[in-house]
Amino acid sequence: MCPEKLGQLDPVIHSRIRLAVLSVLISVKEASFNYLKETIRTTDGNLSANLSKLEEAGYISIKKVFKKKKPLTTCSITEKGRKAFSKYLKVLESYVSFKK
Amino acid sequence: MNDLQAKDDIQFIQEMIERTRKITAGSWMFFLVWGIVAILGVAGMYVLEIFEKYSWIWLNWGVFVGIGVVFSIVYGKKIERLIGARTYAYITTGHLCFACGMAFCLVGFVFPALNLYSYGLIAVLISVIAGILVFTMGGIYEWNLLKWCGVIWWLGALGMVFIHENYRALLFIPLMIIGYIMPALVLRSMYRKERD
Repeated sequence: MCPEKLGQLDPVIHSRIRLAVLSVLISVKEASFNYLKETIRTTDGNLSANLSKLEEAGYISIKKVFKKKKPLTTCSITEKGRKAFSKYLKVLESYVSFKK
Repeated sequence: MNDLQAKDDIQFIQEMIERTRKITAGSWMFFLVWGIVAILGVAGMYVLEIFEKYSWIWLNWGVFVGIGVVFSIVYGKKIERLIGARTYAYITTGHLCFACGMAFCLVGFVFPALNLYSYGLIAVLISVIAGILVFTMGGIYEWNLLKWCGVIWWLGALGMVFIHENYRALLFIPLMIIGYIMPALVLRSMYRKERD
């Protein structure tokens, strides 16, 4: 694949935090907001803003429930998100192998 | 984006995925509790044999296995809440433990009760299943120490064949210490180091 294909990199995923969120969610069934925050090592505000962008794109679904009167936000990757992540990874990998 | 950035991104994705595969806080407690429960079960069984209370041996195991199962369910729920995620590694481990638990019950209780084989064979078969459980967990979490513990279980099973069947289950105690309690203590110190 030629390097020009890198222009096809999904702009929604092409951000460190959003890439990290999808990388984590691809290997878990669901994850709480706090788990994502601790695993990615980011701040509440930053994570929240990036989660919203991923949700708007339909890449993740966010569920908000109350457990013992405490709010609990859980996120999971959607099928659309899974496909987009896989495509993103393929573009990256083909670029690296092209350079070899 | 250049070549370096593309490689860096791939490495970053790998690192994020790796973080979700770490053996998580509190996992050591399962090993420790099941190790202690099994050692107490074996000790109880031998005490009952000394006093010739053979019919109580089933009750002895029933009580200790029951304690282990109740603990695993309650503590498992607590750990799930504490971690805040259901990783595929965690889900797979849960299924593996359930499957091996069922195999333990069939091999240790049901089949001998149906006179399919002699009681002396129970310890050998249980050790083989324990080896599968520990080795596979080592594979899921990419932890070589656990894989070696699985191998030790299999070697123990082989060693049991050469011991008189009345004493086979006694070999459980060193196997439990090496194959369950030792990894539990290593896990605990790893978790504490990570936390600090």
